[in-house]
Amino acid sequence: MKRPTTTPRQVEKKPTYCYQCVAGPDLLTVSVSDGVAVACEPNFNAAEVHPGGGKCCVKAYGLVQKTYNPHRITTPMKRTNPKKGRDQDPGFVAISWDEALDTIADKLREIRQQGLLDESGYARVAATFGGGGTPTYYMGTFPAFLSAWGAVDLGYGSGQGVKCYHSEHLYGEFWHRAFTVGSDTPRCDYVISCGANLEASAGVVGVWRHSNARIRGMKRVQVEPHLSVTGGCSASWVPIRPKTDAAFLYAIMHVLCFEHPLAALDVPFLRDRTAAPYLVAPNGYYLRDPASRKPLVWDTKSKQALPFDTPGIEPALRGLFRVSGIEVGADNETWQHDDIEVRTAFEAMCDHLAGATPAWAADICDVPEDTIRSVANEYLAHAKVGETIDIEGITLPYRPVAVVLGKSVTNGWGGYECCWARTMLACLVGALEVPGGTLGTTVRLNRPATSRFASVLPDADGFMTQPLNPTDRERWKIKPKSRNAYNTLVPLVGDSPWSPALGPTYLSWLFQDKPPENWPRPTLPDLWFIYRTNPAISNWDAPAVAERMAKFPFIVAFTYTRDESNHMADILLPEATDLESTQLIRMGGTKFIEQFWNYEGFGLRQKMVEPQGEAKDFTDIATELSRRTGLLENYNRAINKGAACTRLSGEGYDFSLDEKTPHSPEEIWDAVCRAASAELTDSKETDGLDWFQKNGYKFKPFPLLNWYLYPRMVEQGLRFEMPFQERLYRVGKELANRLHEHGIEWWDTQLTEYQALPAWKDFPGIWQKAAVADGGTINDYPFWLLTARSMQYSWGANAGIQLMREVAGNIGGHAGVIINTDTARKLGIEDGDLVEIRSSLRATKGHAVLRQGIRPDTLLTLGQFDHWAMPVAKDFQMPSLNTVAPMTMALMDATGSGSDLVRVGLRKLDGGRS
Amino acid sequence: MTRYVMVADLRRCVGCQTCTAACRHINGTPPGVQWRRVLDMEIGVYPNVHRAFVPVGCQHCSDPPCLDVCPSTATRKRDDGIVTIDYDICIGCSYCAVACPYDARYKVSRAEFAYGGEGMANEQAVFDPRRINVATKCTFCVDRIDAGTAKGLTPGVDPEATPACVNSCIAQALHFGDIDDPESNVSKLVRDNEHFRMHEELGTNPGFYYLWDAAGEEEK
Repeated sequence: MKRPTTTPRQVEKKPTYCYQCVAGPDLLTVSVSDGVAVACEPNFNAAEVHPGGGKCCVKAYGLVQKTYNPHRITTPMKRTNPKKGRDQDPGFVAISWDEALDTIADKLREIRQQGLLDESGYARVAATFGGGGTPTYYMGTFPAFLSAWGAVDLGYGSGQGVKCYHSEHLYGEFWHRAFTVGSDTPRCDYVISCGANLEASAGVVGVWRHSNARIRGMKRVQVEPHLSVTGGCSASWVPIRPKTDAAFLYAIMHVLCFEHPLAALDVPFLRDRTAAPYLVAPNGYYLRDPASRKPLVWDTKSKQALPFDTPGIEPALRGLFRVSGIEVGADNETWQHDDIEVRTAFEAMCDHLAGATPAWAADICDVPEDTIRSVANEYLAHAKVGETIDIEGITLPYRPVAVVLGKSVTNGWGGYECCWARTMLACLVGALEVPGGTLGTTVRLNRPATSRFASVLPDADGFMTQPLNPTDRERWKIKPKSRNAYNTLVPLVGDSPWSPALGPTYLSWLFQDKPPENWPRPTLPDLWFIYRTNPAISNWDAPAVAERMAKFPFIVAFTYTRDESNHMADILLPEATDLESTQLIRMGGTKFIEQFWNYEGFGLRQKMVEPQGEAKDFTDIATELSRRTGLLENYNRAINKGAACTRLSGEGYDFSLDEKTPHSPEEIWDAVCRAASAELTDSKETDGLDWFQKNGYKFKPFPLLNWYLYPRMVEQGLRFEMPFQERLYRVGKELANRLHEHGIEWWDTQLTEYQALPAWKDFPGIWQKAAVADGGTINDYPFWLLTARSMQYSWGANAGIQLMREVAGNIGGHAGVIINTDTARKLGIEDGDLVEIRSSLRATKGHAVLRQGIRPDTLLTLGQFDHWAMPVAKDFQMPSLNTVAPMTMALMDATGSGSDLVRVGLRKLDGGRS
Repeated sequence: MTRYVMVADLRRCVGCQTCTAACRHINGTPPGVQWRRVLDMEIGVYPNVHRAFVPVGCQHCSDPPCLDVCPSTATRKRDDGIVTIDYDICIGCSYCAVACPYDARYKVSRAEFAYGGEGMANEQAVFDPRRINVATKCTFCVDRIDAGTAKGLTPGVDPEATPACVNSCIAQALHFGDIDDPESNVSKLVRDNEHFRMHEELGTNPGFYYLWDAAGEEEK
């Protein structure tokens, strides 16, 4: 043990960023003492520019231990045991970087000679990155390598679809360019939160904003089966039955539409900014003008049906009208209607909701009718319909109410219905995309990713254009681009670089052993890259996924410590981690989850300590792989074009790299820094890497007006595509036609989701049926098992960080499975007892944590555990939903997502008290 | 006079433990030694349940029971209210730990590290052998306060002179300052809000205020 020296240590504070979870990035400084990182602190200099006061969350404080963790893999390694599986010792042995890189490059060159696509049309190289895109902020120039390579299958999931806000991503972008949705918290007064666990998942900025809002008087009603951290910080908790949120929200809509006069709603918003006045014809499509084929509305002034964009009209919102026109269905099927009775889309919605009374929902949700009605009335009362606010000199509607949804509400069956209800609740009071209301954050399926507004362009029906995957006979792709078939099965997911990872990613795993009828033969990727991802514990039915990845012939794992997925790898590459390597990224603007900034620009993650062992900067690895694979020129060209943060040339500046020679990480990032600086300042400044290392970031103001989509919609005369989903209905019909033409019927259940007005279905029943599909009765599985976010562990391999484990222990539930106290006692279970949680699939074990804040019919596990290979974490004895949740088509919705939800039984095991 | 106190706004705290981790960093405490931690408390019976997050640690009492029982005079109280422990004098008897009604004191009898062994490089860099076999507790980051005030900085306002837990708080729940200065941030917070102090009935006159609601106009 070293003893303190009397010589003063040289301590420097170095700025960097933390982007371990999607709620980042946040800014911090790290104290480096004689070359050793010793402590993290907020970046106090950034207090003005960062919307969370320049602070970082608890996870950033794990970065020091992360750097010096003795369990790190610090040399390249190769597998010596050709057999793969959980029960096999991989026999990893250390090798040189040369051997590791040459082995991979040889394999890549061999693949390239065979062709990038295999006999089934799938990319021979696949890659999976976890953490909602955050690995991108740590993988340096690796995206440039992937770009230089060409076709890569990014469709093997690690949990996305179940672990993300999946329906929200797809429907949110469709309706209001909202990959994720949040409240305008600084101006909002009333929030209905169905399971949005913001105090655990919205990061520093979310916590900061909501804390200020609470003091200001904002009221949040937390609707969820267990009392989460967020519930604890809310004004009230409504313990709803799992997966019944859609009924709760429909009943609130019912109260607004049936128990209040129309004038109490935002009639101008509904009339002018939505499709509520569009007339709906008998076959479920809009009634259209035969000449222009535009949707018709009923003009109350001239008493006739006219195209929606006819100048000077005043469309009716409610009513039945006798009119003539055409109706255009799937595959251009057209009907001519003469003097028929039609209703407005708003009228159709009201008819649709007529039965969704609070009394009806009370039975479904196990929430008192009065509570539902009270929430609805409070929502309306707080909406301030008719009021305005001045934002940067522009007068905008002011509607300080919002509805936010959490995971397992926004995904899986019922996700569509909840997202629709949430968006429509905003429309009813004019609170969509206006100050105080429900806002989108960013785009991932629309292009360009750098601007939320650039894709706001008009289509023929008065809505935004949508980048849907085609479903017409000529353009629909029977041959999927990815093993998860996103472009074939999910029109809504589009085809952006993010789309493969947002498709039905389970299908890649599900079809591997048992392909469905009339489908390309499943093939395994010849080479699979994995980084900051661990599907072997994070996916649905994780043990089955681990078995399937064990069949992959060649896996390259960028590795921090050993874990359950790299247990199957052939080569381990130790990358220099967060504090040991360099990268510049874009920051600011608006981004998930509540990252609403008043600035935008760039921030640097800098190498502040030497990498441990032989760990290598990811950019170095990417450059070397490119060189050894013969792709150096393409790789450098991709960097020059912007694959590493931003283009290196623009008007008045050119920092392009010589494409023929390899460059060091310092050279590359210096050029990127200079280009970013020039881009931000109209070429007035060209600060390089040394400047960013000292200052950490460079920003320019981001207009507050850019938080809101509403002004852009008004500018272009556009309407939000609510409430009636004619386009989705048509797309669903066309997709059904295409699939059936090819004899594919195994997606029929998913096709039922394509409804113009989504109906309540017995969503809990879907999981109940799944539980007994292979036998037994529902009495064998009397509990709902749910999961919830742990801020301390999510994400970034924090399960192996001692400090995170220690501090997480202060928060209830991090020691096992949370059980309602009375329920547990009836089963003879005491706090700390070892219990078995068994689904129809298998069992997981953990210690009982008895709490009052959970429904008697519900169990809760925090985070994702059941580690069996990761050092430290494998000794936790923490149960995991992923071990017991089945991965089946029956539990997958039309977007390809499921929910963190499974029916289970519970019993005490002998011995083993914690 | 000056009396430094901590203020925790229970309406803001989310129990994230960022303050706990920040304290561990800045003060270099070993695993399990949390001079600042946040309790996760449930109140009520299902379905009428509330959950509260309550930061705890040394309350820097004006009449600290730990000081009274200290046989070695290692525990002392400064003029500015900060209760200190002189590691060179402490004999590790733990009387103070027993006497403290806030469960705020720790004693470790051997060097302990996150992953065992000789400790990681960062742990070696901050390891202080004087803390073995003596009582330790929250110091209000007294070194930062002294260094900061020497530069003319204001504790609770300037980060360089402010305890690490307060600096780190992502909910702005923790505040620090001079309660004897009626214009200080903490005086205003205490004046403008309903508050309590923990175990005040014991006569310890703790220097840690918990805010739970805005004060009515007549109380300001």
